[in-house]
Amino acid sequence: MRLTVNGRVHDVTVRDDETLLELLRERLALTGTKLTCDRGECGACTVQLDDATVYSCLTLAVACDGAAVRTVEGLAPPGTLSPLQQAFIAHDAAQCGYCTPGQLVAAQALLDRNASPTEEEIRAAMSGNLCRCGTYPKIVTAIRAAAGTESGTAEETIRGA
Amino acid sequence: MARKPKAGGFVPTVVEVEGRTETRIVEVPAFEPAPWTDQASLHIVGTNVPRMDAAEKVTGRARYTADIERPGMLHAYILRSTVPRGAVRTFDAAAARAMPGVFDILGPGDAPAKTRLFHRDITYAGQPVAAVCATTLREARAAAHAIVVEYDTLPFAVTFADAVAPDAPSVRPAGNTPAVSPLVIARGDVDAGLQAADVVITREYRTPVQLHTALEPHGAACEWDGDRLTVWESTQGIFRVRADVARALDVPQSNVRVIKDYMGGGFGAKNGAGAHTYVAALLARRTARAVRCLNDREAEQLDSGNRPATVQRVTLGAKKNGTLTAIRLSADVPLGISGWEGGPAQIYHEMYACPNVRSEERFAYVNTSGMQAFRGPGYVEGAFGLESAMNELARELTLDPLALRKKNFAKKDPRQGRPYSGNALLECYEKAASAFGWPPAVDGSPLTVNRQPLTRSSSTPTRTALGRGLACQVWPTGGGPPSYANVRINNDASIDVLAGTQDLGTGSRTVLSQIAAEALGANIAHVRAVIGDTQSLPYAGNSWGSMTTASVGPAVRMAAEDARRQLFDAAAAMLGTTPDTLESRDSRIVVRDTDRSMTFAEVTGKLGNVMIQGKGSRGPNPAGVAINTFGVQMAEVEVDLDTGVVRVLRIVAAHDAGRIINPALAESQMQGGILQGMGYALFEERIVDARFGVALNTSMHDYKIPTMADVPEMTILWADGADSTANHTGARGIAEPPVIPTAPAIAAAVADAIGAVVREIPLTPWRVLGALAAP
Ligand code: FES
Ligand code: FES
Repeated sequence: MRLTVNGRVHDVTVRDDETLLELLRERLALTGTKLTCDRGECGACTVQLDDATVYSCLTLAVACDGAAVRTVEGLAPPGTLSPLQQAFIAHDAAQCGYCTPGQLVAAQALLDRNASPTEEEIRAAMSGNLCRCGTYPKIVTAIRAAAGTESGTAEETIRGA
Repeated sequence: MARKPKAGGFVPTVVEVEGRTETRIVEVPAFEPAPWTDQASLHIVGTNVPRMDAAEKVTGRARYTADIERPGMLHAYILRSTVPRGAVRTFDAAAARAMPGVFDILGPGDAPAKTRLFHRDITYAGQPVAAVCATTLREARAAAHAIVVEYDTLPFAVTFADAVAPDAPSVRPAGNTPAVSPLVIARGDVDAGLQAADVVITREYRTPVQLHTALEPHGAACEWDGDRLTVWESTQGIFRVRADVARALDVPQSNVRVIKDYMGGGFGAKNGAGAHTYVAALLARRTARAVRCLNDREAEQLDSGNRPATVQRVTLGAKKNGTLTAIRLSADVPLGISGWEGGPAQIYHEMYACPNVRSEERFAYVNTSGMQAFRGPGYVEGAFGLESAMNELARELTLDPLALRKKNFAKKDPRQGRPYSGNALLECYEKAASAFGWPPAVDGSPLTVNRQPLTRSSSTPTRTALGRGLACQVWPTGGGPPSYANVRINNDASIDVLAGTQDLGTGSRTVLSQIAAEALGANIAHVRAVIGDTQSLPYAGNSWGSMTTASVGPAVRMAAEDARRQLFDAAAAMLGTTPDTLESRDSRIVVRDTDRSMTFAEVTGKLGNVMIQGKGSRGPNPAGVAINTFGVQMAEVEVDLDTGVVRVLRIVAAHDAGRIINPALAESQMQGGILQGMGYALFEERIVDARFGVALNTSMHDYKIPTMADVPEMTILWADGADSTANHTGARGIAEPPVIPTAPAIAAAVADAIGAVVREIPLTPWRVLGALAAP
């Protein structure tokens, strides 16, 4: 089968029971996407599949033939950061960082659909992405900052260095 | 007050770890920098330096244990017992061995005794019975489940009452209760105190088993090179894992290297080697391949530690004016199959100035997985009992609960009469009260308007009630030795801060870099903290007990000061002056009151490969001083009177942790702690089926942690001020304090809303409805 991941075309042969998450992590060495529950309960494995966000732990790789997948590694060209990634850094929206790749992909998909989501829309769209460090308030702030719906730029928010 | 020990030589010092006091013999550092007081002019410490590993985290480049890949690496899966007590009667792995991809299987008798793995005797459901390694995890898992295990089952006890009953089954061969149980701690005369009281209340509170539920499960990848072992482990204590592995496998510590770069949360459950570590190490040795072993989510929720449940019977006696005359606690704590005696009592002795306090804690082992420290162990459970009782006492006395707290403020450590290194709890009370609006206006409060009998037709609009409550916190956060650090200045003036500590997501990489940059007068962008490797880094203790900043921070500062002294010596020769005329800022050395200066890079460039290496260590703690973090939280909730659903609307938290090194990171950690406390208050509870002795909710769907939709408005306030007595950075710990008062504050707010007290958490809808329906 053939699929496009972060703009790069891959021809791969997959097992029929192989998940998209396994394909990404184990075969394509894209380990940014995380496994936490393996059953669609936490959002750590969230990737974008064509226009939808999916739990890659619940998505069979064979079902992705011909599809375009975007993972955290594809949010910005290597060596650069997307505005959303920059906002996550500026607003301290990652503590341990384990949920962060899934949060970012879900948030980017939200912003692609809705360029200026309200706080309520953010909360609704993101509530499938769990964070045990409790970084949620900072994630909301970062998403709003990236959307330009938060007053105060990243530079103003960060004092010091 | 602090008595300054002489440099050189060894002295005893007292270190408090999560409420347990240890005396350690430590060497006195060659010099101790003068404390950074409130007057010190600091440029980097105290500012919001962005988290220094954030770019790795937002790009997916940060490598966690699950991301470690080694050539030819195999995957291991642990098969766990399905019965709570019994013996493995038959173990047949023949079919499993023949399955595709399988390399090796460990079963009963195959692991060294010191790993305590794969016993035939089963003492809890979830106990490792066997492990399989195969080319892929799927193959390993499939083969593990093809092993035929038959058990002779035995009667078991999964509740405290069952474990201590006269005819109780034997939970552990050495007895169902630890030797210290019942553990009595007392001061004064509680009976006399109760006699002297105008008001006495007695209440019983219950807290559930809470699961850590870190997003990254426990795991290790192990690889042998001859007789040397490398362990990549998701851990809060690399040196402890090294010691555990060396002991269990009978190899010298110097042959074991433990690496932890990034980890996806620990919260107390990742403090040493575990079954996954030993399994990976043993199978790696037997197969001569690298082996990775990670808990899956079920194993993680089933057998990776938990906060034990408690029943707390609390008696408080007080004068009419609110002065406490007696505090008595009687508590039952089922520990699971193993653990330490982390009961709820400590906070009862430490929070208030009461002369008569007695606690009696009874511990029992039960046939469920063992407990582990969980963020604020003991104090979180204890705060729910003590602070809930204080709120009920306030109601009984018709006193404002905050006034009751102020009345009983402890000016000195109430246990030993030691002065505090710092205590701004009264300031916290003021700050929180003014931000929250405490005491809340009673007039027209919706809670009285809406409180009606529970009858309505489906067409009536939702009836809700608002309520507000508060609770307080104390937690030992002094940290202490031993901890070491080195600071290296490379010849391009980039700076390595080397310390064998770990960053759990707490931000220690950033905080330690800030301390080093400040002490050196360096540009923070040139500083990099290197942590998490036992082979190349000097010792630091576990990242537990909110201890890392206060333990490792001073060692880093001393190493940086030592490096700066050497740099100044070199620069003075180059600038034709003496070192005492120099100062540095932003990686530039200036001759004071002149326009002569050199950058660090100019100095180190001239030095070539002469490397400046500063050495630092954490000095002894000040003697005879209590070092604690304090705080208060106020909560506002909305209760749906028809469904019993509680929604937390806002939390105001004010804490005193001495100097805050990075306010943005500290705020993140506080918010996270409050949310874990909110989960404990509202949703989180491991359920064990008493008939079968197995845990029922081992998934993230059935065990609920807070989501983004549950987040209240949170205001984090600090009584900011350096604690120059605690240590020379002025900082105490903050990781655990925010979890401690959240649940009792929320419970008090719910009681305020519905006019009835729910004394058991989590405050599930049915418990709230039950309280509403009660006469
Ligand atoms: S790992 Fe896929 S949703 Fe949790
Ligand atoms: S940042 Fe740790 S789980 Fe979200």
